[in-house]
Amino acid sequence: MKEKVRVALVGNPNVGKTAIMNALAGTNEKVGNWPGVTVQKKVGRYNFRGFEVELIDLPGIYSLTSYTIEERVTRNFLFSGEYDVVADVIDVTLLGRNLYLTLELLEMGIKPVVVLNKVDELENLGFSVDKEALARILKLPVVEVSAVRRKGLEELSELFLRVGTGALKPEGFTPSYSEVLENSIELLRLKLKELLPSDFPYPLRWFSIKLLEKDPEVLELLKKYASEPETVLSELKRIEDEVRRKEGIDLPSLVARERFLLASRIATKAVKSTVDLPRERLSDKLDRVVTNPLTGMPIFFLIMWAVFKLTFELSSPIGDAIDYLFSQLLPSLVEEHLRALPPFAISLLNDGVLSGIGAVMVFLPVLGILYLLMTLLEDTGYMARAAALWDNFMRLFGLSGASVIPMILGFGCNVPAVYATRAMRSATQRLVTMLIIPWVSCSARLPVYAVFTAAFFKENQSLVLLSLYLLGIALALAFAFLASRRLGADRESDFFIELPPYKLPSWSVVFNQTFIEVKEFVTKAGTVIFAVSVFIWALASLPPGVEYAGEGSLVGRIGKLLLPLFQPFGIEDWKPIVALIFGALAKEVVVGTLGALYGTGEEGLEKAISSSFTPESALAFMVFTLLYVPCVATIAAIKQETGGWKYPLLLVAVELLTAWFVAFAVYRVSGLVFS
Amino acid sequence: MNLAQVKEGELVRIVDVLGGLGLRNRLASIGIFPGAQVKVVKSPPGPVIVEVAGSRVAIGQGMAKKVEVEPL
Repeated sequence: MKEKVRVALVGNPNVGKTAIMNALAGTNEKVGNWPGVTVQKKVGRYNFRGFEVELIDLPGIYSLTSYTIEERVTRNFLFSGEYDVVADVIDVTLLGRNLYLTLELLEMGIKPVVVLNKVDELENLGFSVDKEALARILKLPVVEVSAVRRKGLEELSELFLRVGTGALKPEGFTPSYSEVLENSIELLRLKLKELLPSDFPYPLRWFSIKLLEKDPEVLELLKKYASEPETVLSELKRIEDEVRRKEGIDLPSLVARERFLLASRIATKAVKSTVDLPRERLSDKLDRVVTNPLTGMPIFFLIMWAVFKLTFELSSPIGDAIDYLFSQLLPSLVEEHLRALPPFAISLLNDGVLSGIGAVMVFLPVLGILYLLMTLLEDTGYMARAAALWDNFMRLFGLSGASVIPMILGFGCNVPAVYATRAMRSATQRLVTMLIIPWVSCSARLPVYAVFTAAFFKENQSLVLLSLYLLGIALALAFAFLASRRLGADRESDFFIELPPYKLPSWSVVFNQTFIEVKEFVTKAGTVIFAVSVFIWALASLPPGVEYAGEGSLVGRIGKLLLPLFQPFGIEDWKPIVALIFGALAKEVVVGTLGALYGTGEEGLEKAISSSFTPESALAFMVFTLLYVPCVATIAAIKQETGGWKYPLLLVAVELLTAWFVAFAVYRVSGLVFS
Repeated sequence: MNLAQVKEGELVRIVDVLGGLGLRNRLASIGIFPGAQVKVVKSPPGPVIVEVAGSRVAIGQGMAKKVEVEPL
């Protein structure tokens, strides 16, 4: 077996950790979740000089406190010791701010390899970095790389091996601060030494500093381990009062300020400027335009319109071709060449297996193109501006501006919308956004509305359509309001949004990432979609010999069984219920199934509907179709992204209940209005 | 005066950040803490954008109102 070196990548958001991962491991990357939370975990692998190097991408964070899930995940992983090397990835154009995190790592007793990324950008700005000076001050190995230009990668891998195998042991510098702060740390440390058990697993100096910062998780640990936590807390209070008297500032602010100033001082010793920066940049002018609501909103909608147009126009011919392949060409070949097989087996192959594979494949073009465009928006820097533009409005519902783009994509298709939430930083906000996306009426629901409004509401077709869309949005926002409070997402919203410099995207990163995501979709969500397709085929074909999805089939019997549940909103026939069951596969299937069951095909469906529905029950049925369950692909995507069945199943339950009550209310109210 | 009231292009010094520890810690980690200097790149309507420690950061108006500043 090959010897393995595990490298944990730590760094601020936007420093290029993904680009480094891509440059080293290519597309050999696995995406999963950190245990118990919805924070994405990426692991890449590559071989170097006979070693297998495993790269573990930790969430992008600004500091190592415990105010957000990302910070807690990172910190707990760093204390777990399940790695051989820590690589602190730094955007060298923002060295001062990035070193803040490095100092926190050093305080924890971690001696990372310092990776200065984006050296090419720094040189373009007219700066140069003195990496020897930096290495001398920090007493850490320092390496310059440019992930995008693939520079310094060999040296980086070599450093991973040397530190990972123990050939090189970084000494690490102990950050020391002003006298006031150092005295405070020391006072607390002595107190802790008395009151904490000898096998206390955390470094005492670090623990003291975090107590001064009033870190919530550290305060919990204190209560758990210390024999007299109150004594420590009263000592802390005493120190705080004294510091406030001397410095006029609270303790947490003092610690952060000192750390930031030390980081900046170190940075100025390492980075030399050769030119003066312009006071006003072009990008500042652009930022003013795109984040001002008056000008920014039209630009935002124009860009979203272009994304939509490109995605759905480009993908539809490919999607149609895939659909033709799996629903016509291959089935006809099966029928022709496997005539010897019993009809049941042919039905299994055609309606079960092939349509199941088709149901997965048909998403690939949409996902691929949309993912490409999303990475592009993110890479160019526009995504952060759009988030800033919408932040105020979304805050009303406990979300942040970053949730707007996924929600809008939901109008096209909920599945890529769920994946688009990956660009969101806060895990809890991301979870809430994923859960509200299914309320957004996707384009697959439109055919259902089209048939029913044509049959009953010829005069007011657009009014009915608009109301349905607005109903979906209203429920999404209301649900966001409730869920964000329940899950604490409103407290986790980002306090600020960093606006990275505008730049051209790196195509190799864009294409590699798109490939990885599409591959993950097929292996993870694809299997669920396929299994459910075959399951529904079985419901429609069993017991053997029945007419496909007919009255005697399992699905037909289930439809009849469920009928009493649908009668309160005016549905008196089992056929629409069977159509809804099929609609769980993909909502556009509802219309096709109804057409088949009424024996009219999709053309004569309007007439058949007119005779078996009333205007009131038609409205209720449309509302139910809008709200009931997300399609199986959306459920599978949410399962993949949340790492388990808990949230998707909860969502299905909530949606079914809501759909029933709203459909019932609409039926009753419209009954009053129409009479 | 608070951060939302500063004119575009002006340099200010942070006096205090009113708000919970989470807010103060997060802002401090990117360089917004009492005593620090920031430049306002954009003022309302819409979010406030400041230049701090070499990067551009957008802050919502609600949050910006919690940051007390004084002109330099």
